[in-house]
Amino acid sequence: MSIARGMVLQRRRGAALLLAVLSPTLLLTGCLGDQLRPLPGLNQRLSQLGNGHDPALSGRWLALIAGQQGRQQVQLIDLERGLPVPLIGLNRPDSQPLSVAVDLSGERLVVVRQREDRTELVLHRRTLMATERLPIEPAGVPRQISLSADGRLLAVEVSRGGIWQVDLLELP
Amino acid sequence: MALVLLLAGCGPLGLRRQPAPPGALGAENREQPALSGDGRLLASLVERGGRSTVLLQDRRSGQVLPLPHLRDHQPHSSPSLSWTGRYLALLIQQGPHRQAVLQDRASGRLLPLMLPAGREPQRLSLAADGRRIAIELLDDGQRRVELFDLSGLLEPDLAPGLRQSGGGEVLP
Repeated sequence: MSIARGMVLQRRRGAALLLAVLSPTLLLTGCLGDQLRPLPGLNQRLSQLGNGHDPALSGRWLALIAGQQGRQQVQLIDLERGLPVPLIGLNRPDSQPLSVAVDLSGERLVVVRQREDRTELVLHRRTLMATERLPIEPAGVPRQISLSADGRLLAVEVSRGGIWQVDLLELP
Repeated sequence: MALVLLLAGCGPLGLRRQPAPPGALGAENREQPALSGDGRLLASLVERGGRSTVLLQDRRSGQVLPLPHLRDHQPHSSPSLSWTGRYLALLIQQGPHRQAVLQDRASGRLLPLMLPAGREPQRLSLAADGRRIAIELLDDGQRRVELFDLSGLLEPDLAPGLRQSGGGEVLP
């Protein structure tokens, strides 16, 4: 094999190796490199609520946990009006919300919250202004939650005996 | 074999508990559940090869749905599904950074969701129709939630019978 032919083959192998290394990156950057388009009016309203975390988006509703230093509450924002709506009876001074989920109608919210020395799972019906505790059986500590759009099916991440599991609950 | 076996039947408050679909490898941690809007699909995180990996399953049959484009981008976190589960938003690892991406299961495309520089995504929530996404960001040590418009990037994933209306931002 001539030296020139050997160099060409070596370059081709190098190019193939480079492509193999870069392909996962190309996969992610090659199709769409544009930045996401923020919604500035709504984001300004959200920033007025203070620090926020654990968003749950469902139709025209955004539920999240937000507030100023040390006083975090569940907030429900009507995105069509750009305004928070009242959640009467849900937020309590003796509890700290950890995660939240909302259904498509904005009627049902499920919240995991720390209250005194326990972590509890509650269902809040907004127009009824009613909050009830959802029992976890067998006993466990809930963390993340997800609610189907109709608000009837709930998936809960639960810690039991050192293992994280997923419970599925059909809500009444 | 079954990951979590909850006794079917009615509990207090009329709650019905369903078994979660079994995982593929027996008893293991399963975290961060996310239901599709119609409740048919369940995404959750399991460990594969020591790395957190999203598992997408039909909730009733337990059938695992393939996500080949995500295979080399663990650890995964914060899965979120659209109405039928056509779109799966999640965080993946790309080099030293977390990257928000959206998998379109109909076309097989993996879309990067590019955020403004300096903002690290922590958690995602995709609207069921796929028109917006809420992202919890870490920006200069502060956690906050911002909303982004996806209506120019994605076909809507609508519930049967829902008419299409404008996306984007509506404020009073």
